Amino acid sequence: MRKTSFALALLTAAVLTACGGTDPRPGNQTPQTKFTQQVAFGDSLSDVGSYAVGGVLAQGGGQYTINGDITSVNAELTGRNFTAVIAAQLGLPAPCAAQTGLNGTTSTNPALNFSVPVVMNANCFNYSQGGARVTNPVGPGNRLLAAANASVVLGATTVPVVTQVANHLAKAGGKFSGTELVIVTAGGNDVLEQLGELSAGATAEGGKALITSLVTQLAPTTPSATGAATIAAAAQAEAARSGSTAQTIIAAAIGAAAQLGNPSAVANAATIGATAGAAATAAGLKYSSDHGADVVKALGTAGAELAVLVKNQIVAKGANYVVVNNLPDVSIAPSVLAQSADTQKLVATMVATFNTQLKAGLGDDAKILYVDLATVSHDQSVNPGPYGLTNTKDTACVVNDVTKNPLSSSLVCTKNNLISGDVSHYMFADGVHPTPFEYALIARYILLQMSGKGWI
Amino acid sequence: MKIRINVVKLMVAAGALALAGSAAAQSKGQLTVSVGANQLKPDVESGAITAPALPNSIGDVGKDTQPIAVITYGLTDNISVETAVGTPYKHKIFGAGAIAAGGELGSVKALPAIALLQYRFFEPNARFRPYVGLGVTYAMFQKETGSFRMTALTNPGAGVATTFKIDDKWTVSGQIGAQFNVNEKWFLNASYIKTKLRTDVHFSTNQTQHMKLDPDSFILSVGYKF
Repeated sequence: MRKTSFALALLTAAVLTACGGTDPRPGNQTPQTKFTQQVAFGDSLSDVGSYAVGGVLAQGGGQYTINGDITSVNAELTGRNFTAVIAAQLGLPAPCAAQTGLNGTTSTNPALNFSVPVVMNANCFNYSQGGARVTNPVGPGNRLLAAANASVVLGATTVPVVTQVANHLAKAGGKFSGTELVIVTAGGNDVLEQLGELSAGATAEGGKALITSLVTQLAPTTPSATGAATIAAAAQAEAARSGSTAQTIIAAAIGAAAQLGNPSAVANAATIGATAGAAATAAGLKYSSDHGADVVKALGTAGAELAVLVKNQIVAKGANYVVVNNLPDVSIAPSVLAQSADTQKLVATMVATFNTQLKAGLGDDAKILYVDLATVSHDQSVNPGPYGLTNTKDTACVVNDVTKNPLSSSLVCTKNNLISGDVSHYMFADGVHPTPFEYALIARYILLQMSGKGWI
Repeated sequence: MKIRINVVKLMVAAGALALAGSAAAQSKGQLTVSVGANQLKPDVESGAITAPALPNSIGDVGKDTQPIAVITYGLTDNISVETAVGTPYKHKIFGAGAIAAGGELGSVKALPAIALLQYRFFEPNARFRPYVGLGVTYAMFQKETGSFRMTALTNPGAGVATTFKIDDKWTVSGQIGAQFNVNEKWFLNASYIKTKLRTDVHFSTNQTQHMKLDPDSFILSVGYKF
């Protein structure tokens, strides 16, 4: 009898453990905050198609990533950037570009026609534009930066973030509703543009030093009263010619000296060239180091300006949920990795300075979520495994062959101009822009921080 | 760590005593049932969620207390077998490490089935009877429940909610406890059970996570000798 009782008890335990309806379940899939809208300001990282018109559209592009839903090939190739991923997760409509159009070159070839009238889309609230800077209206891709005789010019509108916010306020009656999720992502184009100007300045200084050195070396042994002027003129003419290099300029100067009867110019060409080249390099480096501090300072200013913009024109105008992404570590991007160690260091300093000023300017505010993408992107480059990244240094898109990618940008990167092999888990689509997989990682990180803030 | 070593020693001692098992005055065949509460508290050492995830994306599991009925049957005056029945334990699952900001990410119901072989010190009629036990546990996990946040951190915006399954496991448990006999029929019982439990979590995103749960169980109950 007693033994029976014990057996009965064991049986009861067994029955209890075998109750039905025990499968895994999704649970509550509703966020804590019911957002009514997503409003995004920024640059190419959050652009959802400002330039998806004309030739860009004809090539299947429009976003700065691997474009197009190619999930049939690989589940990660969604063609979405992080704003689209976050909107979908929050149950909001897919974001669309508030302004579309291009001011580039006209072409009868539909794939190369980048002249499309600018249109404001009343029901779209992603104002981000590729090339946009914080306050400066001219960023990468802008027509004003193209060479006068360039045959293919994208003509990106690069409306700066400060104007993007003003445009939204004008559209929304001067204020935010308070129930929208605002996302701000900027600073990258300020780095690229400042770096471009620094590099152009250093090249110009180097060019000047090259010619000065050539004249200094060649004029004394040239038996002509106007030797110095003639040699300088020949070198300058060559330097002004499109496609000239240091070698062709050196050759032009030596040729001019020889024509004037310099007996040793040709024989000593190698030495003269090496000396002049060294002088040019030294002058370029001196310019870079003299002006490096200026570009770092400019980035600090941009960061501070962005913070003021967020506080005075977004939060003070009624927004309650503002995600401010700091500037990812551009120094680990393929386009910067291709440059010198000094340049990489300079870019890292520019990024850090921008972020320091941005963070300090934003301060502690319950309505602002400062998301540290810089730390994550840097960590991804040194520790890619846990993130699921297979390559953080190369571009998934072909960007150095204009027959396959006329803009040398992920803006027109599709399944048709990817490099061969599986690029689904690459970090970068082009020299600076993420793949959809990296964008999804960014979305997850922002959502994690939004959880920490108690917003979702 | 200290506790764990002590438990091992006690388990060895229990085994030795059980083997020694010299038959003292026997009143075998006695069934006792005690009713009380059990707090089940995982001692978590979490592995990281596999890629793609932030490095050191680990987890934590909360404790839960549920009513329990402890059923003990005396094989001899000193050797007994014990099992317990109760309601499932609902454990909240939290993000930790790099994903601590995620907070509560889900929950799971645990239903451990346990069978212990015990050695009870002193005479059956002694007022105070400490005991040690060693046994097997079947840890069963049910109703693993995800959340908005779990989906947001693993597969956001895909329109597919992330779910997860925790492997059920057979494992071993060690016990120390004491029975205080109030009178001929009624007694108070307190015991501590340590269970060695390593399991794996499988997410619907094909990610996995190894977890050492090693739960501590604290039981307080009031019993009756039939």
